[in-house]
Amino acid sequence: MADLAIDVRDLAKTYRTPFARRKVEALRGVTFSVERGALFGFVGPNGAGKTTTIRTLMGLIRPTSGSAKLLGHTIPSREARARVGFLPEAPYFYDYLTVRELLDLAGRLFGVPSAVRKKRADDLIERVGLTRAADQNLKKFSKGMLQRAGLAQALMNDPELVVLDEPMSGLDPIGRKEVRDLIVSLRDAGKTVFFSTHILTDVEAITDRVAIIARGSLQASGSPAELVKKTVLGTDVTVRVAGDAAALTAGHSRIRRAGDELGLTLGADVDVDAWIDQAHAAGAKVVSVSPRHETLEDLFMREVKAADDARAKADATEQPS
Amino acid sequence: MIGRIWAIALNTFREAARIRVLYGILVLVVGANLLALVLGTMATREEARVARDIGLAGISLFGSLTAIFLGVFLLYTEVQRRTIHAIVSKPIERWEFVVGKYLGMALVLSVLVALFAVAMAAMLAFEGAGIDGNVMRAVVLAWFEVLTVAAIAIFFSSFSTPFMSGIFALAMWVIGRLTPDVEAAARNASGWIRVLAKAALEIVPDVHLFAVSGRTVDGAHVSVHGDFVDWGYVGMAGLHGLGWIAALLALSALLFHRRDFV
Repeated sequence: MADLAIDVRDLAKTYRTPFARRKVEALRGVTFSVERGALFGFVGPNGAGKTTTIRTLMGLIRPTSGSAKLLGHTIPSREARARVGFLPEAPYFYDYLTVRELLDLAGRLFGVPSAVRKKRADDLIERVGLTRAADQNLKKFSKGMLQRAGLAQALMNDPELVVLDEPMSGLDPIGRKEVRDLIVSLRDAGKTVFFSTHILTDVEAITDRVAIIARGSLQASGSPAELVKKTVLGTDVTVRVAGDAAALTAGHSRIRRAGDELGLTLGADVDVDAWIDQAHAAGAKVVSVSPRHETLEDLFMREVKAADDARAKADATEQPS
Repeated sequence: MIGRIWAIALNTFREAARIRVLYGILVLVVGANLLALVLGTMATREEARVARDIGLAGISLFGSLTAIFLGVFLLYTEVQRRTIHAIVSKPIERWEFVVGKYLGMALVLSVLVALFAVAMAAMLAFEGAGIDGNVMRAVVLAWFEVLTVAAIAIFFSSFSTPFMSGIFALAMWVIGRLTPDVEAAARNASGWIRVLAKAALEIVPDVHLFAVSGRTVDGAHVSVHGDFVDWGYVGMAGLHGLGWIAALLALSALLFHRRDFV
């Protein structure tokens, strides 16, 4: 059996409103595992159950049923938390502290010896690019800077497993790229990284494995390459054509026109050679032709829609006649 | 374990020390002591007596109100602002967090009580009197009272909103201060008043033990201006307070342990 950093079995969480006794099923029997050393993306739309899963793993929420292990320890486990770094979603820290003081507090809670604490804090502050703001109160930090401070405090114990809840949220493109690079560097340093996001390009670009969650249920899990269908969904073509191109675009989708350049997607059932001949006959010059495979975004949309449909069906069945 | 609790306590001290209301309360206490000077001039040859009464009442009243204020907010805001997410996800037990919060708060309250006592000592010195053993014992008793009230407030805030926690804690403090009257009701009243009084005696900390000046203790009248309780009594009252603090923190930790932080 593979060495697992995270092992989640039938995890369920149901909230009950105090007076109405209404049930809200945030997680409905989620099962997945993350091998040690993997970079694992946990994706789902807002309200899918990503944060509930992560908070349950980190001991912030008690599951209604099911079980989970972190680094071989059944949650909630203090031993496991000592070896895990965690960045909460939209982190809020004590705003009267500086990032240096925040890291010192984190280090104390992790039991990092004082001699190591200061050196590690300095290294991490530099690594997340907060050197110039190291002695500023967190109150003055932007959302992106707080996210970086959050990443630094999650690494104060030099963790084996890093759990990041929406680490790219609120960051500008440069910040996102930097955090993405940091995540990859953690994996390259041998750490297991588990992060949630709904930014699919990030997941597709860097993860080894991915799980899609929607409506509290796991919809798919595997490597991005395994999950997306290999069949050609269509062909993206770009041609350069002067004048009217109505004959070339009729019946096709995703039409883009910029000056004399025309881009469109031919359906999977279209004879591409015949269309190119037609384009040549119309005086067009073919610039590019590329087959279009399913992307993670397509898979994501498909799985989320399937979950929505299944839930709607179940709700309709549960409705009293 | 000690290191983690101390880290939370120090952080709580730092957090509480930034609350501006505390400085307002400090000004109020100094104002109350100055008022004692004015009132003292009206009571010929009783200046020191008035300064002692108002100074000690200030420590007890403002100290306890500050304890309630800090107790009901400090734990609640951790949950409300989600700062707790980055803390309890680290290798700290929830009871350690509760104890750390309490100790940090107790540290702030102790500094405040010390400052209140210094303000009173300054007034007494101005009146040509000093801090004698009676006053010292009365200050220590007031300090125990403040620490016990802080534990009451922490207990309520482990499961309730600041407003409700404040109401409950204030009610407990007032009932605790009226323990002799509640005891009388438990003996002499009938029906549901007797039942309520008996229940109150069981579940409300007897903070009256910490404010005995002008009352009867073991059949003798005691006063901070004359014959007052000895250090043995102070020690016993302190142990009584510590017992309540330990019990209330244990209950708070139990309730906190069961909470989901969503």
